[in-house]
Amino acid sequence: MNLDLALDTYVAESRELLEQMEEALLAFAKGDCDADRVNAVFRAAHTIKGSAGLFGLDAIVEFTHGVESVLDRVRDGLVIMDPVLANLLLECSDCMRQLVDAAGAGDTGAVVEEAPALRQRLSVYLGEARETSCAGARAQPPARVAGSAGDWHISLRFGRDVLRNGMDPVSFLRYLATVGDIVSIATLADALPSVEEMDPESCYLGFEIQLCTAADKQTIEDVFEFVRDDCQIRILPPSSKAADYVDLITALPEADTRLGEILVSSGALTQAELEAALASQSDCDQLADVPGAQEATATNRRLGEILVSQEVVREPVVQAALDKQKQGREAKGQEARFIRLDAEKLDRLINQVGELVIAGAGIGLAAKRVGATEMLEAASTLESLVESVRDSALQLRMVPIGATFNRFQRVVHDVAQELGKDIGLVINGAETELDKTMVDRIGDPLMHLVRNAMDHGIEQTDVRIAAGKSAKGMLSLNAFHESGSIVIEVSDDGGGLRRDRILAKAVERGLVAPDADLPDREVFDLIFEPGFSTAAKVSNLSGRGVGMDVVKRSVGDLRGTVEVDSVEGRGTTIRIRLPLTLAIIDGFLVAVGKSVFVVPLDIVEECLELTPEARAETSGRDFLNLRGQALPFIELNQLFDIAGPRSPRENILVVRSAGRRVGLVVDQLIGEAQTVIKPLGAWFQTVKGIGGSTIMSDGRVALILDVPGLLEHVHRPASRREVLKSAA
Amino acid sequence: MVVTTDMTIYTVAELKPQLLAAINGSDEPRIELSQVAEIDSAGVQLLYLARREAAVAGRKLRISGCTPTVQEILTLVGFPLDEEAAA
Amino acid sequence: MTGLPTRAGGASSAAGDAFENAEHSQERQQYLTFLIGKEVFGIGILRIKEIIEFAELTVVPMMPHCVRGVINLRGAVVPVLDLATRFGHQPAIPSRRTCIVIIEVQSGEDATQDLGVIVDSVNEVIEIPDTEIAPVPSFGTRIPEGFIEGMGKVAGKFVILLNVDRVLSTDDIVGVASRMSGAAEALAA
Repeated sequence: MNLDLALDTYVAESRELLEQMEEALLAFAKGDCDADRVNAVFRAAHTIKGSAGLFGLDAIVEFTHGVESVLDRVRDGLVIMDPVLANLLLECSDCMRQLVDAAGAGDTGAVVEEAPALRQRLSVYLGEARETSCAGARAQPPARVAGSAGDWHISLRFGRDVLRNGMDPVSFLRYLATVGDIVSIATLADALPSVEEMDPESCYLGFEIQLCTAADKQTIEDVFEFVRDDCQIRILPPSSKAADYVDLITALPEADTRLGEILVSSGALTQAELEAALASQSDCDQLADVPGAQEATATNRRLGEILVSQEVVREPVVQAALDKQKQGREAKGQEARFIRLDAEKLDRLINQVGELVIAGAGIGLAAKRVGATEMLEAASTLESLVESVRDSALQLRMVPIGATFNRFQRVVHDVAQELGKDIGLVINGAETELDKTMVDRIGDPLMHLVRNAMDHGIEQTDVRIAAGKSAKGMLSLNAFHESGSIVIEVSDDGGGLRRDRILAKAVERGLVAPDADLPDREVFDLIFEPGFSTAAKVSNLSGRGVGMDVVKRSVGDLRGTVEVDSVEGRGTTIRIRLPLTLAIIDGFLVAVGKSVFVVPLDIVEECLELTPEARAETSGRDFLNLRGQALPFIELNQLFDIAGPRSPRENILVVRSAGRRVGLVVDQLIGEAQTVIKPLGAWFQTVKGIGGSTIMSDGRVALILDVPGLLEHVHRPASRREVLKSAA
Repeated sequence: MVVTTDMTIYTVAELKPQLLAAINGSDEPRIELSQVAEIDSAGVQLLYLARREAAVAGRKLRISGCTPTVQEILTLVGFPLDEEAAA
Repeated sequence: MTGLPTRAGGASSAAGDAFENAEHSQERQQYLTFLIGKEVFGIGILRIKEIIEFAELTVVPMMPHCVRGVINLRGAVVPVLDLATRFGHQPAIPSRRTCIVIIEVQSGEDATQDLGVIVDSVNEVIEIPDTEIAPVPSFGTRIPEGFIEGMGKVAGKFVILLNVDRVLSTDDIVGVASRMSGAAEALAA
């Protein structure tokens, strides 16, 4: 009985619907309008409104009703969907989003400032047909099909958990009463178990309902949209024949005669019809397959056949109806292919599989120690199995980046308008998958890059034309996999970075020596320095106090890197490289004293022995000679204050981070290992240079080095110039 | 017995044993609902259970004192009510 | 712990008042008692998840001395605190009887975190009625006053009942850590 949970689901689903709505509206704004999209938008609005009614979210119901009414007129061809209307509806969808968000935050009485004005603007499209009353959930949803009212029969069997999920079947019945007149309701309590077994918080109820309405099937189904997964629903249209009711009777759990009585008493059937239908039931069962309708389910096929065999409707009509239903089913089938689940459950699974990997490795070690060959083999089979289970588990967290990318359609549309520039967006690789956590956290940095590219990258139209470019600027978002990582690119065909201006600014700020001769890549990297901006004027878009350094830090937090490619006059590409998952890394294990550390393998360049001669040569300097090049190094035992006997032979691990090469002095090189990352808690958040921990196959905890953090910690700005120079 | 709380998902677990005790404890079980401000499907379902249990024991359950809200819902779902049911 | 904070807060009232307070005579709480040095301490058992043998720790650099490191508790990485050091005494020297007591603490609004504390040895679980808990004496204990929730009287001897949330306050401990790493940064520069 968790109402909050149900509301959360409503909010999440509404947000998704709003996203779909927005996508379609953006297409309309470009003049790309087709009936399917209009229907999709209408359905989205209708569902948001209908479900809002169930929660008593009157503000949403009321506002969305206006939107829905306009869309209904578009469907009927009374109003033309032009870019002006599309933009108005986009604003409306923003307003709906605010209301939904407010409801999600527990504020059901939220007032959106723009709402009255928007409603006013919408009313223009409603013309004379504008309904005078549109308050509350009881507003009449518009009838979809111009048809005469008839008696529909609806069978409902609610699932056991409906009540616990915060749903109240009775409220659906009340809502149903807004769609038409309820002629009769028979409540079936037959499923109630014995007194001892009956759990009062489970739902055992079913309803047989006669509803008189001119609305179509979809409208009736939509009433139950919110419990569709938790409930069996059967809807029979007004003119259904006795045989259809027989089908219904046989399909439902209650005794045939019991349901038969209800149907007779509700007037759906006469006693004679019921008896005749029950008698002929066996004949119906023997009907042969009809070619061309194979995809349809058995029930539907039979329904169609019966209708035709009884010469109630002609074959083409049935075929059309079946096709239509099939489409509906496919849409639903698509939804059903996905399971919405709590990310925490996934994390738990992945953690447990991680444990399994460690435990498996432990068995392998033990087997090796004992020297039991058979056991060793079994352990290695187990290990490889467990590893593939882990890969599958990690795969569960992967989602396509498309949804994130698509959100930028709207951003680009709005920002371009705001800037008075004509800018198009091209999306490539929307199907590329990455870790859900990363999808959630990459949105903000991408947002910044996109705004930045539009504001500072792409030139004003006159400048572009003068430069011989197309008037319309192009922005592209691109994603692809490359050697174990995912690459996301934000490219523009704008003016490109001005190398000389960046360099001048860097010298002015003391970041680079005046005489330094830096390669392009390193010059461009300077834009990621805190507070570094070469923009002549700061606009309210990208100059909002967040700089490229924030982008870099956010990406760094995801263990990713950012790089820039730019050609002056031609455009800029910012390339974000992220690991496939945050849960696991290929690590290189090193020992310092008794402590073991893990260095992410992808930044390790080489390992070498620190010979006593080379050691002597350094004599107090903090860099050594690596094949004629100066290599700065860090002694981990000193930095981390690790006491204990030193190894007589020291080693150097050469790592590359942010374009710099650094040597880490360690005692022992242990080797490569795949490691499951365990975050260190709040206690260790301030520790510089340690990014997390992992559990080794012997059960001990090893710390994972955060090399960029380590370097930042060691090389304060004062010594920065020297490092840059020596790295160059 | 007189039900003194709402009859909703939040109270049914508590009410179930009370209602059953009332039915088994009397030859003419009666449930007085005048103090019930709110009833939902869980409450309705409990009334169906009580009615069934009374019938099994060969008794007739009487419901009385329904407030308009409760009566509206019981009428909506078609719960059999006597004339005396209304408040 | 209901009723305790107010009593502990009234440090100035005479101990006798608390003992004669019959209202709370029925409130009894169970405490795990343990030794640190020669002193007996107690923690309400509701907060304690389990007790494990002392095993080798992984030291996390640049942390205050009272944070001895982290251990692997069935796959979870759990920080371990040396209570003796936290109280400003000499660090515990692991012996055969040294244990790690795993305690659940609140971290953020809905989240809890497991922490380990090192104790020299675990004694027993005892029940101390509320009436047998005296307020914190203003002097005479060798640990910071804020760490104490009350003084339990058991068989004529006192057990120091710890205020777990204060002793294991992340803010307190990490605050120290960030000051330390600030100093380290200054040194490195």
